[in-house]
Amino acid sequence: MKKRLKRKIAKETLLLLFLTAGLYIVVMPMVYMISTSLKPNGALYEFPPRFFPRLQEVTVENYQYIIGEGKFYMNFVNSIVVSVTTVAAAALVAAALGFCIARFNFLGKNLLFVFIMLTMIIPGMTLIVPQYELAVWLKVIGKLTGLIPFYIAWVIPYSTFMIKGFVETVPRELDEAIYIDGGSVFTVFFRIILPLAKPGIASVSIFNFLTAWEEFPWANTVINDNAKRTLPIAISGFFGQHQFTQWGYVFALSVLSLIPILMVFIFCQKFFVAGLTTGSVKG
Amino acid sequence: MNKTAKGKQWQIGMLLLPGLLVFGVFTAYPLIKLFIMSFFKWDFGSMLEQQFIGVQNYKEVISDPYFRISFVNTLVYTLVTVPAQMALGLLVALCINSITHLKVSFRVLYYLPVITSWVIASLVFKYIFNTEGMLNYILFHVLHLTDHNIRWLDSRWGGLGVAMLLGTWKGIGWNMVVFLAALQTVPTELYEVSGIDGAGAVKKFFHVTIPCIRGTILFALVMLTIGGFNVFTSIKMITGGEPGHQTDTILTWMYYKAFSTGKFGYSAALSFIVAVCLAILAAVQFRLMKNREEG
Repeated sequence: MKKRLKRKIAKETLLLLFLTAGLYIVVMPMVYMISTSLKPNGALYEFPPRFFPRLQEVTVENYQYIIGEGKFYMNFVNSIVVSVTTVAAAALVAAALGFCIARFNFLGKNLLFVFIMLTMIIPGMTLIVPQYELAVWLKVIGKLTGLIPFYIAWVIPYSTFMIKGFVETVPRELDEAIYIDGGSVFTVFFRIILPLAKPGIASVSIFNFLTAWEEFPWANTVINDNAKRTLPIAISGFFGQHQFTQWGYVFALSVLSLIPILMVFIFCQKFFVAGLTTGSVKG
Repeated sequence: MNKTAKGKQWQIGMLLLPGLLVFGVFTAYPLIKLFIMSFFKWDFGSMLEQQFIGVQNYKEVISDPYFRISFVNTLVYTLVTVPAQMALGLLVALCINSITHLKVSFRVLYYLPVITSWVIASLVFKYIFNTEGMLNYILFHVLHLTDHNIRWLDSRWGGLGVAMLLGTWKGIGWNMVVFLAALQTVPTELYEVSGIDGAGAVKKFFHVTIPCIRGTILFALVMLTIGGFNVFTSIKMITGGEPGHQTDTILTWMYYKAFSTGKFGYSAALSFIVAVCLAILAAVQFRLMKNREEG
């Protein structure tokens, strides 16, 4: 018995050591990014390069520059507006779609579902050319309204698919009770489905927030005006602006733009894992 | 009764309307338009007047040596990053599943690369693999493994290699979480039974763990293959397709043809080929998954 316990402790220690070693490699790029953002600009092309800045060198001048420039606020607000609008609209629209597909039979339902699955499979970027023509025609090039509806359409298939799964776990008897009391389809949707499928909608919304917050190719194509840029294109715009890339500025801006994502991740961890694993462990 | 049924239909229609409208205008319509565009001579010069040219665009795509390079690059990227992510993710999941302390902390920390945006992660990798960057300094001046700074990003496989490394690094966390959930569904009795039969850890892994999580493995395979063909931002940020389009993937090449040379018809044909290929591939993989479940 004692021998077995000893073996167990040895195994645990070994695994912990192994995981810690792996973790060094996994988080190293992030740590390097943060440490570079804290270096004075002159030290970025120093030789030999240092992983961490010297202690007396540590500076927030890169952050001061980014925040002082003022553009940062615009980019940040643009990102917030685009992401929050996308998340809210997509949640409501996809919940309604998911609810109808899960509960009712209507003309073209199977076709709709197949189409939703299909758009989950084909890369969204393959549609970029006709979508660009559409955006030109709608006169939304260079505007935030050129981003939001496209993002909503982009996240609808996955959101609908997930929310449909959650709606199916809500007992039908609850719907029936409302109908017997003379309630309408809307009553069921707003009083029963939305509250009870909340965890599912929350987990989907986190992913939609991540998607909208970090989206690059479409925003880079549609937005050319400095004032309308979202954070990802602001970051990439910094890069290669001068002959020597100001890595300190690039990474300071990167760290700042990761903060909201980290906050969402930490506060909503519970929903995060639930959303990831639904659909993956069947069979 | 009939009246209420009709009322219900109307209400269902109202609920469906916003979703169908957004989906129809911004996804379905572009998809149909993509198909139509691919049969027309459609470029910057002919924005107002397009000419029907049949399958000319498709012919042009297929016979284009640059398309072949980008196709091979995408294929290699997928074939390397998908198994690498799955193997490493499963390895980490197995380790985390077997420990009793710090489970949650490890899970959170290993997941961090997944929530880092592609733009930022690409720039960090570009910085590390810079010719005057940290990695070359360590290899050349500290470990003396090379006698010069290696120009990682200036060759086809160097640039792609960095992108593949980034893709793998960023994907481990997702695989870990998905496999961790799957491992929890493996009945512990099975391990005990095979333990009594004298099976070692390796044998247990191949005879108990793998068959039990087969469904999840296939699910991850489908999702990651789609993800592999989607590679765009990392290539665009790290190499930009340089040198001479040697590191372009299908989507970066398509984007270049559309927005740098104005060949919209060509890009539409290329996009449609990609979409059809992926739909077929996913259908085959899904069918495989279904058969396995039943069999």
